[in-house]
Amino acid sequence: MKKRILALVMAMTMMITGSIGCGTDKQETKTAEETVTLNIAYQYGLAYAPLIIAKEQQLIETAYKEATGKDVTVVWNQMNSGADINTGIASGNLDVGFMGIAPAITGVVKNVGYKIFTNLSGQEHCMMTNDSSITSFDDVINSENQIALVNVGSIQHIILAKALHENGYDAHALDSNLVVMKHPDGMAALESGSVSCHVTSSPYIYMEREKDNLYEIEEVTNAWTKDNSFIVGVASESLYENNKEVYDALSEGISDAIDYLNSNTEEAAALTCEFNGNSLEDELTYLQAGNYTIETNGVYELAAFMKETGFIEELPASYSDFVFENVTGD
Amino acid sequence: MLKRKDQIYAIFVRIIFIIAVLCIWEYVARQELFGERSNLIFPTLEMIGSAFIRNFTVGYAGISFWAYIANSMKLLIIGLAIGIAASFILSGLSMVSKGFYHIFNLVVSIFDLLPGVALLPVIIIIFGIKEEVIVFLVVHAVLWPMSRNVLDGFLAVPKIYVEAGMNMGLNSFSLLGGVYLPAAMSYIVSGLKVGWARAWRGLLSAEMIFGIATCPGIGMFINQMRTNMNNAEMYATLVVIIIIGLVVQYGILTPIENCTVKKWGMTK
Amino acid sequence: MTNKILQINNLTMIYENNPEENAVIKNMNLTVDRNEFLCILGASGCGKTTLLRCIAGFEKYSGEIKVNGERKALPGTDRIMVFQDFNQLFPWKTVEKNIQYPLKKQGIKDKAKLKQLSDEALAKVKLTGYGHYYPYQLSGGMKQRVAIAKALALKPEIILMDEPFAALDAMTRNKLQSELLNISIEEDCTIIFITHNIQEAIVLGTRIMVLDKGGEIVIDEKNSIARPVSPASKGYGELWERLHSALYKNA
Repeated sequence: MKKRILALVMAMTMMITGSIGCGTDKQETKTAEETVTLNIAYQYGLAYAPLIIAKEQQLIETAYKEATGKDVTVVWNQMNSGADINTGIASGNLDVGFMGIAPAITGVVKNVGYKIFTNLSGQEHCMMTNDSSITSFDDVINSENQIALVNVGSIQHIILAKALHENGYDAHALDSNLVVMKHPDGMAALESGSVSCHVTSSPYIYMEREKDNLYEIEEVTNAWTKDNSFIVGVASESLYENNKEVYDALSEGISDAIDYLNSNTEEAAALTCEFNGNSLEDELTYLQAGNYTIETNGVYELAAFMKETGFIEELPASYSDFVFENVTGD
Repeated sequence: MLKRKDQIYAIFVRIIFIIAVLCIWEYVARQELFGERSNLIFPTLEMIGSAFIRNFTVGYAGISFWAYIANSMKLLIIGLAIGIAASFILSGLSMVSKGFYHIFNLVVSIFDLLPGVALLPVIIIIFGIKEEVIVFLVVHAVLWPMSRNVLDGFLAVPKIYVEAGMNMGLNSFSLLGGVYLPAAMSYIVSGLKVGWARAWRGLLSAEMIFGIATCPGIGMFINQMRTNMNNAEMYATLVVIIIIGLVVQYGILTPIENCTVKKWGMTK
Repeated sequence: MTNKILQINNLTMIYENNPEENAVIKNMNLTVDRNEFLCILGASGCGKTTLLRCIAGFEKYSGEIKVNGERKALPGTDRIMVFQDFNQLFPWKTVEKNIQYPLKKQGIKDKAKLKQLSDEALAKVKLTGYGHYYPYQLSGGMKQRVAIAKALALKPEIILMDEPFAALDAMTRNKLQSELLNISIEEDCTIIFITHNIQEAIVLGTRIMVLDKGGEIVIDEKNSIARPVSPASKGYGELWERLHSALYKNA
């Protein structure tokens, strides 16, 4: 009996290690195949609008075809958070990801194995309150007032910390007031009075600003503007080193998409409004309010702030540790 | 004598199994089978072990991991207590009143299907952003499966016990406590097992989605570790979750089972 | 205290949703004296179990059932039922606690007193020393003895026995019959005992009844055979024949 159990365990062990072995074999044969596959992860929202254009107009495929005469298969995966995308790239299942600047900095520092290959967009962020008596941080710090935002360590959290820091408060002075919930839930909680404040980004800030009974705390708005990097694209180092042609096509495709959005905003809005669930009119307003550019702004400054306030443990030596050579900005 | 031998055998195969799983884990981690960054997403046992210690000694953002565990356990225990008590009271009332039984049966069937997280917006409107929201989700997780088991258990009580009880002069409520409750014990014990597991998972997922900084729990800790790519710490937290689960299983539920249905010869 | 411990007048029992002509018991009249051991014989479906359940208070009926001249509609400890099913003991209580529990419910709180009562009852059914066993550790015959001990301990007006030995093997059955006979002689108790075994009725009963469809009493007579009864006893053969032909007259 015991012997049989032991044999079973051995067999299981061999099966599992065997199947893992097979998995790696398959990957090797895949790269050797004729057509190249590019796995891209992105998230939902207005800030990702250029990606819908690149996807619908097949801009990456076109750029690759023009440069090499060969085909590339682009697989677009919609994912839920920067953390998921980080894991996906670290495991080699994803080549490219688009995420907030904060998880991207965390990923570079944690050595996930990628760098920023392009900036994608900048948006306004702000803190809205439903209590007219709240006019500055003093009214919230050490109070019972709760602040909804999307996650601890998210870009919204770091912007809040930065606003506090710049106005002479401890960056973590409001940490004990935070409540973590998704953007739409946060907006609902703010409107129903369940929380006092909501730190959010577009398009929710536009909707919240339209309400007469909601007020904006300007310090947060000014801490990180739409000229600063919000969403960036990251590419794995192995893609950059081993598949430079695909990498170049990727950079070109995204750059083309951003150019298209900026020069033909109305056509772009017609293309993206359906995906974002907005009316054409609203989508156009939102796209015009955003800042879509491939040039980064404030990445190293933000990383230095994150190090100073304990959001990351180490700070790489220079801007070039965060981005590939082709990226402009700071 | 034979029983003791069986127990030793059971422990022996389990230890072999655990060692085998750990060996496979370590092999995969050391061989870096998940590519170049394998250790970042699939850390070695040593890395997880030191992260385990770091969780307790350093914690995160100035808060000890003990505080996270204490917060979670507090909400869990309150939720479990309310859920279990309510399931007994409501199932008991169902046995006393036919009309109540029909309504409650429907309510259990409906609410057992609803994932607690889907109810979150409604619960927030009712309770506001408070710890009570998570307690409510734990109650929701445990109440319906527990009630289903208790109800089924009550309905499955052999008629002869009820008649013997009535013969002794027991009436509705003393019959409930004196006959229905002990006679349904095997259903109640399995209800406790299911209810406990659902509550524990419900708590963690609620905390992962809905985090209150004033009462940070284990689920929130996992979420923070994931956001920061501290995967070794995250796996170490999963180990803690497993340990707590096993302690409850073997420290509380199994003794309850041994002291009741096993002792009474009511298991098949 | 009247000598007539049980009086049944005009008892009719119809199960729910059944027409009147399907009455299980129709207009039954019956009187039982104190200390009688009444054995009721009858084919399946003659209403003998229903009669017992009506007396116990488990069924809704028309007519009246009086114990010591008092009308009874609900179950009570003055009429204790011993079922055929071995699983009538609570499995979550030890033998001793099974006997003590109804006594406790009767208001006896003193632990020493309870212990004494349960020990006495167990001694009567020859199960001294089995107090700490759980029911699942006992054989079928032992469980039935405990059920009888439980009934005796309560000192009810009437013990109602619904074929308590029917599921036992022949040897155990004979043994339990003679034990029950001794108990019924030594104890001050009235027993109504249902069986479809003629031998059992003759051995145990001081009075024997045969019921036909609708609870019609076709034979009701004192058992005059000298106890202890054996097949060789005088009059055994004639009585057996009479009961047998009454039982099987329709077959």
